[in-house]
Amino acid sequence: MIVSGGVLPVDKANVDTDQIIPAHYLTGIEKTGLGKHLFTGMTGGTDLLAAYPEAAIVVARENFGCGSSREHAAWSLLDRGIRAVVAPSFARIFFENAYNNGVAPVVVHESAIDELLLEPHLEIDLVREVLTTSGGKEFSFTLDSLRKQFLLSGGYMAFLAGKREAVRAWLAARPR
Amino acid sequence: MPRSLFEKVWDAHVVEELPGGNALVFVDRVVAHEITTPQGAIEIEREYGDELFDPGRIVAINDHVSPAKDTETAIQAKVLRDWAKRHGIVLYDLGRNGICHVVAPERGYVEPGLTLACGDSHTCTLGAFGAFALGVGSTAQGGAMLAGCLVLGRPKVMRVTLNGRLGHGATAKDLALYVIATLGFKGGTGYVLEYAGEALASLSMDERMTLCNMAIEAGATTGMCPPDETTFSYLRGRENQPTGDAFEAKVDFWRTLVADPDAVYDAEVTVDVDALRPMVSWGTNPGESVPIDGVVPADASAASLQYMGLAPGDVLRSLPIDQAFVGSCTNSRLSDLRAAADVLRGRQVSVPTIVTPGSQAVKRAAEREGLHDVFQDAGALWTHSSCGPCLGMSMGVLAPGARCVSSTNRNFPGRMGAGGRVHLASPAVVAASAVLGRIASPDELAPVGIAVAVNG
Repeated sequence: MIVSGGVLPVDKANVDTDQIIPAHYLTGIEKTGLGKHLFTGMTGGTDLLAAYPEAAIVVARENFGCGSSREHAAWSLLDRGIRAVVAPSFARIFFENAYNNGVAPVVVHESAIDELLLEPHLEIDLVREVLTTSGGKEFSFTLDSLRKQFLLSGGYMAFLAGKREAVRAWLAARPR
Repeated sequence: MPRSLFEKVWDAHVVEELPGGNALVFVDRVVAHEITTPQGAIEIEREYGDELFDPGRIVAINDHVSPAKDTETAIQAKVLRDWAKRHGIVLYDLGRNGICHVVAPERGYVEPGLTLACGDSHTCTLGAFGAFALGVGSTAQGGAMLAGCLVLGRPKVMRVTLNGRLGHGATAKDLALYVIATLGFKGGTGYVLEYAGEALASLSMDERMTLCNMAIEAGATTGMCPPDETTFSYLRGRENQPTGDAFEAKVDFWRTLVADPDAVYDAEVTVDVDALRPMVSWGTNPGESVPIDGVVPADASAASLQYMGLAPGDVLRSLPIDQAFVGSCTNSRLSDLRAAADVLRGRQVSVPTIVTPGSQAVKRAAEREGLHDVFQDAGALWTHSSCGPCLGMSMGVLAPGARCVSSTNRNFPGRMGAGGRVHLASPAVVAASAVLGRIASPDELAPVGIAVAVNG
């Protein structure tokens, strides 16, 4: 699967999930329709999105998605058409949520970020694990080999559903 | 092979090793609240015949916006309520609820050696009991409700040894802020923080919960404290725990849940707490904290300074505040309320001040001691229990530019309201600041009952 699209340059470190989507938008019971709230908690976030209406790939600095566990952060990115976030590091819970919702968390070295923030367009081959700039420069990255399947097929829950029998057998044999 | 506390709990819950260094980890307990549970519950209802792995392992709590503030939050609470009823899940609802991380332990649902997941990042609070308790997304929580398991990469383990003893007005909150400032805001990412040392042994369960609550603020997967007599006494006689020999048999097992003497850690940090003073945050993440008598650092990030309206060298004690808040899963248990009340007794607040107990049970216990009178005599608002102003979701939202000293856990931009500025501190510092109308520590207050002449 290839994610190809415009870059949304978020030139900030520690973009927490309160900035991605503030808590007062967490009042629904569905995963859909949250794109309109994306980055409304971030200073300049709304203007940034308006300047890059076709963006499909966020490029940001370290520790993206820190803070609250709200999966609404991944859902709001997805609903806005963002299919990948490129950053030097991610917070754990957002990282897992991104994989589970088809938003690729792409880890590249910190030294590449300055350059990638200036790119108008990127192409990310999730199967080959290669990111290509508009000028043809390639950066390789590594995806978690199991979660990559969740990313490509959206199958986290289906994967666990398939494990239920094994879990029950394990539980029955559990000491104590 | 000697093992850490974390490794003992982890090893006992791995159902299966998975590719990519992941494991299928059994989850003993799921705590479910109204903001992040409905999405997973609805998916299970639609796609998997509404079949849960074991409803008896789930505890549901309406906590974030309770009572509901509008139609949408009323629907969230109703979805949780209906779902719990349909599956026979224990529900703590309006009137007997509170913040899930306060209610779950006070009702005896958390004990050493358990694994516990909740769609809330501050689930790490419960590691105070020697459980492996972590925050996850709604889908992962849904997976745990559907199949009893999480898919997790095995975290590394960092031993954080706390030497010495708390004094000089320093509290567990100050210790938590100091640890985060030491490790850095993302310094714990990929790790479980396993606390150790003599300072830890002297902490109460309330204090250990405060310490572990903020492990996520260093990016850590969770925090864990080895169980000891303090843990066992907290649990002995508590509801949802057995009594007599059955309880003591559990204690015998829990005693094994400490790190082996030669356990090897992926990282080691030592913190000397003897000289620790009250801490306060100046910036926009909890790692941006300094001792209360300090100044904004010279190397402060420009973005943080701009958001907080500060400059390097600004004296924190000189900053006027617009609001004060005591509450949240970090600092809303009875001992926290007592600490705030000890400062406010016989004094008056000079800025709007909100005190929100962590659970209705805490509220009743506080009122039996007369703490509600202390707060209200001082001019503070004493509320029902909920997550309250901490995340700007229901009540007590800050105006843009307003500065609040808060006993909470996050000072992120917009956390307590768009443009609002949050300074994290202990309940005692919040209370002293509320009295003086600026960031202040309790030792700055004149003794109660003695008139002080100002400017002669």
